[in-house]
Amino acid sequence: MEQLLEILEDIQPDADYETCTTLIDDGFLSSFELLSLVSELEETYEIRITPVDLIPSNFNSAQAIYDLIQRLQK
Amino acid sequence: MLSFVSLGFILFFLLCFAGYYLLPGKMQWIWLLAFSWLYYLLAAGPGLIIFLIYSTAVTWCGGLFAERGFKAAVPVTLLLDFGMLAALKYTNFLVLNLNTIFGTHLSIRTLFLPLGISFYTFQTAGYLLDVTWKRCKAERNFFRYALFVSFFPQIMQGPIGRYDRLSSSLYTAHSFDVNRFQRGLIRILWGFFKKMLIADYAAQYVNTIFDPASAFYAYGIFGVLMYSAELYADFSGGIDIVLGAAEILGITLDENFRQPFFATSITDFWHRWHITLGTWMKDYLFIPLTLSTWMGRFGKWCRKHLGKTTGRAMPVCVANIIVFLVVGIWHGPAWHFIVYGLYNGLIIAVSGLLAKPYRTWKKALHINDKSNAFHLFQIIRTFILVNISWYFDCSETLGQAFRMMRASLHAPFFSVTFVNPEAPGQCLLHFATILSGCAVVFLISILRERNIDVRGRILSLPVSSRVVLLLMFVFILGMLGCYNDFGGFIYANF
Repeated sequence: MEQLLEILEDIQPDADYETCTTLIDDGFLSSFELLSLVSELEETYEIRITPVDLIPSNFNSAQAIYDLIQRLQK
Repeated sequence: MLSFVSLGFILFFLLCFAGYYLLPGKMQWIWLLAFSWLYYLLAAGPGLIIFLIYSTAVTWCGGLFAERGFKAAVPVTLLLDFGMLAALKYTNFLVLNLNTIFGTHLSIRTLFLPLGISFYTFQTAGYLLDVTWKRCKAERNFFRYALFVSFFPQIMQGPIGRYDRLSSSLYTAHSFDVNRFQRGLIRILWGFFKKMLIADYAAQYVNTIFDPASAFYAYGIFGVLMYSAELYADFSGGIDIVLGAAEILGITLDENFRQPFFATSITDFWHRWHITLGTWMKDYLFIPLTLSTWMGRFGKWCRKHLGKTTGRAMPVCVANIIVFLVVGIWHGPAWHFIVYGLYNGLIIAVSGLLAKPYRTWKKALHINDKSNAFHLFQIIRTFILVNISWYFDCSETLGQAFRMMRASLHAPFFSVTFVNPEAPGQCLLHFATILSGCAVVFLISILRERNIDVRGRILSLPVSSRVVLLLMFVFILGMLGCYNDFGGFIYANF
């Protein structure tokens, strides 16, 4: 989780990732930043994220992103 | 043409409305389909409805095959669907460029562009991809699907609908609702206000200044500001009429505008302007392109050679530029439209690449990016960037756009010639009408930006006040409205 928070902070430092659960819904992460994040996650965790995974509920909070990574690593 | 701002359209809609609510609920969608095809026949002519039915049939079949797992169904259907659009809209552009580059003498043919072709082709392609990606189920009934493609208020200039959202209200039975009727009516009148009091008057200035043979290039800045007013009032006004008409029929269409001139960046602008085209591009082109295997390989190469931060952003930048190239081509078969798209794409790509240094600079310069002053600065900066893009959008050639830009740099902003009472169509009253209309739109936009439901507030007034307001509105439209509908709505030509 710590590594994920570091990645998120690096891409967009203006959000509070500990508490925010509306990263996509409230526009904290733009499309540009979201896709940069996807690129970073694919590289770091050696996972493959497809368009089907790109739904707000998978990216609205750091926990949701973490859960997605766990699912895709299985 | 059965333009929205015509007595013919009002009578047509009233007839549709009356029958719609008199019929049993199960018959309503059939009635709408009949009126939609009749509308297209009257507006476009009998020859051009063939293309609409072709696109409908091809994507309906494609959807059924795609759902059953035929892998070839998607590329073949997309080829047939976009192939028709390409053949009708872009053949002459291709021939002209081939003749210029290779000195060939291929002949140019006169091709009729079916009304709304760019809108319904994208809408049908979106449906096919949604079925393929299992976002919705394929529609079994051809005629129900045909209504989704041809629903008459939206066929001309959008918004570009999504099957999963639209189908839920398109085929269900609706009973008459007074509140919904009033809300829809207010929205239609608001559309008339924008179109008749701003767009059509501003068009007179724009047409004069942007005429390729014009002697007024020097007033380009004034012209481009008028184009801002015209384009927004024309397109969003048309969409207001479309959404209002649909609302009266109980059908909810997607919003296409959200106070675009309050945008704080070009990215934000495209989240507020022609929203359904932007989301179409994002969902069906930008995301699949960025997440494609070859873009992944390109990202890895960039990481290795350009570093982590730039490397991860580069695929997004390239995909973004490709998307806006397509947006430019979507607008029309001409180089000035292509440059218009690329201009937007490049700004967004460079902003994305510079996001991190930008934050560092702001910190170093002690700029508070949460302050109102900075917010205002961002809005003004975006407004200027958008207005520069209009030079490419509005000019007839790329050369003209650059000539006008150059002339605008050392020119008087405005000439009294334009408000000369003796110049037909450009008297002081018309100019004052545009300015007053823009002021009203600006005030309403502020309220909507603050999430105030303006229509709800109007409907909470006593009946007598609402009647007075309605009469005032009709009186203003009658007295001051422009009745020279210069070729209908701008986006109906796409």
